[in-house]
Amino acid sequence: MTHGLIPGKVSQSNRHLAPREPVPAKAWGHVATRFNMLFGVLCVLLFFVGSAYAEVPNAVPPKGDHDGKHVEQPIDFPHDIHARDNKINCMYCHTYARRGLVAGIPPTSKCMGCHTVIATDKPRIKKLAEYWEKGESPKWKKVHDLPDFVHFNHEKHLNRFIFNNEGMEVERADEVCAFCHGEVKEMTVARKVKPLTMGFCRQCHEDNNGPSDCWKCHK
Amino acid sequence: MSLENILENWSKYRKGHEEGGYHEYEHMWGMAIDLDKCTGCNACSVACYAENNLAVVGEEKFSKGQGMHWLRIERYWDEPDLGEDKVNEYQIHGASFIPMNCQHCNAATCEPVCPVAATYHTPDGLNAQVYNRCIGSRYCSNNCPYRLRYFNFFSYYEDSWPEPLQMQLNPDISVRDKGVMEKCTFCVQRIRTAKDDAARDDRRGPGAVKDGDLKTACQQSCATQAIFFGDLLDKDSAVSKVWEKHEVALGKSSQNKSNPDKRGYRVLEGLNTDPCVMFLERVREV
Repeated sequence: MTHGLIPGKVSQSNRHLAPREPVPAKAWGHVATRFNMLFGVLCVLLFFVGSAYAEVPNAVPPKGDHDGKHVEQPIDFPHDIHARDNKINCMYCHTYARRGLVAGIPPTSKCMGCHTVIATDKPRIKKLAEYWEKGESPKWKKVHDLPDFVHFNHEKHLNRFIFNNEGMEVERADEVCAFCHGEVKEMTVARKVKPLTMGFCRQCHEDNNGPSDCWKCHK
Repeated sequence: MSLENILENWSKYRKGHEEGGYHEYEHMWGMAIDLDKCTGCNACSVACYAENNLAVVGEEKFSKGQGMHWLRIERYWDEPDLGEDKVNEYQIHGASFIPMNCQHCNAATCEPVCPVAATYHTPDGLNAQVYNRCIGSRYCSNNCPYRLRYFNFFSYYEDSWPEPLQMQLNPDISVRDKGVMEKCTFCVQRIRTAKDDAARDDRRGPGAVKDGDLKTACQQSCATQAIFFGDLLDKDSAVSKVWEKHEVALGKSSQNKSNPDKRGYRVLEGLNTDPCVMFLERVREV
């Protein structure tokens, strides 16, 4: 059985049975055989539905929720229109995520690359165009802010979960981003929905065999 | 996460040198300082202040011994020859200098005494200090035979970096607040960056970070290039060549001083702290 056959819902319901280490894809097959036939039938039934919801392979997502406040931004940037409706990859705009410490905010020129022609009559785009004409950047507020004593490297995490992760496609990068940033593609302006505390990080590092050395993250 | 876990990992990296625990390390960052080249110019110390966000405490606190210089130049004078003939009324050699930064001892005396495990040994062979964890008991400082740990008796932030000087702070290292012990980290932020660069090129393990990929701030600023820094596990690195040439090795506790060409030694080696910093004696025509 390969990843493609594993429906997301099945692995969800059996997560408490799974060992802590990242499980190679084939091991799920063995787990399944221990259950009754109904389970097997469910697997087949859910295959057609489930392939669309397949989980990130070789990864145990971090657990925890946070109810972050709405952050007032200069322009109410609709993540849902860009990432969900138009299926633009997170890394198209947040380009530095795959090669640097920070994911980065795109320059206004990147916005204008599309919006000189797309939806130019919408009020938010008009506001953006104003900034562009003035030669200023909108003063975006930081939503996911870690304390100054924490060293976090986007590149390392993306390599682990996307680029060096067998069975993972770059097109599904948003599922990995959602580990720490929540379902941003369902939001307009991003909101902090994960706690991003030390316990949150440590739990994920234990589940996914991340480093446990203090100086890997503390500086 | 548990205390048990901490203790298990501690023992892994805290073997005495007679047990030969070094092979478990990924890297072993080490330094060699040639005192014959050192002019005592203090550039290394200044570079350290700039790189590591060290607080400038002011003259009064400095005179009380509260200076935060992670790398200090110690000065020593020979006694004037006051023999019977009174040959020299004044010292003829002038001062000798020795730059002292944290020696990153493999059998560090500061580590086992910390009540909260805020100081420990990393898999890189570094003696780490975790500022968030530190509760300021100052036991480590009292137990350091070299006196190379510095305590934040006050919050120096506002006095040390008044507006707009806070803009010069290095974002890769935190600004320590009152009640926290701090010390030389061998510029761990630079090590981290160099290792990340090496990993990007798929280089791992000893020898992954080559000479030139990484320089500490003090090494970079040394006018006479008296400071060597690198991975002691990498046999091709300049620093391990210097160690080998002068027959200084981890695990040794004394030097055979019969050959004047072998100038190497480590400070207070006889205490078996097994430091990662070695010095080359100054050569004199006497």
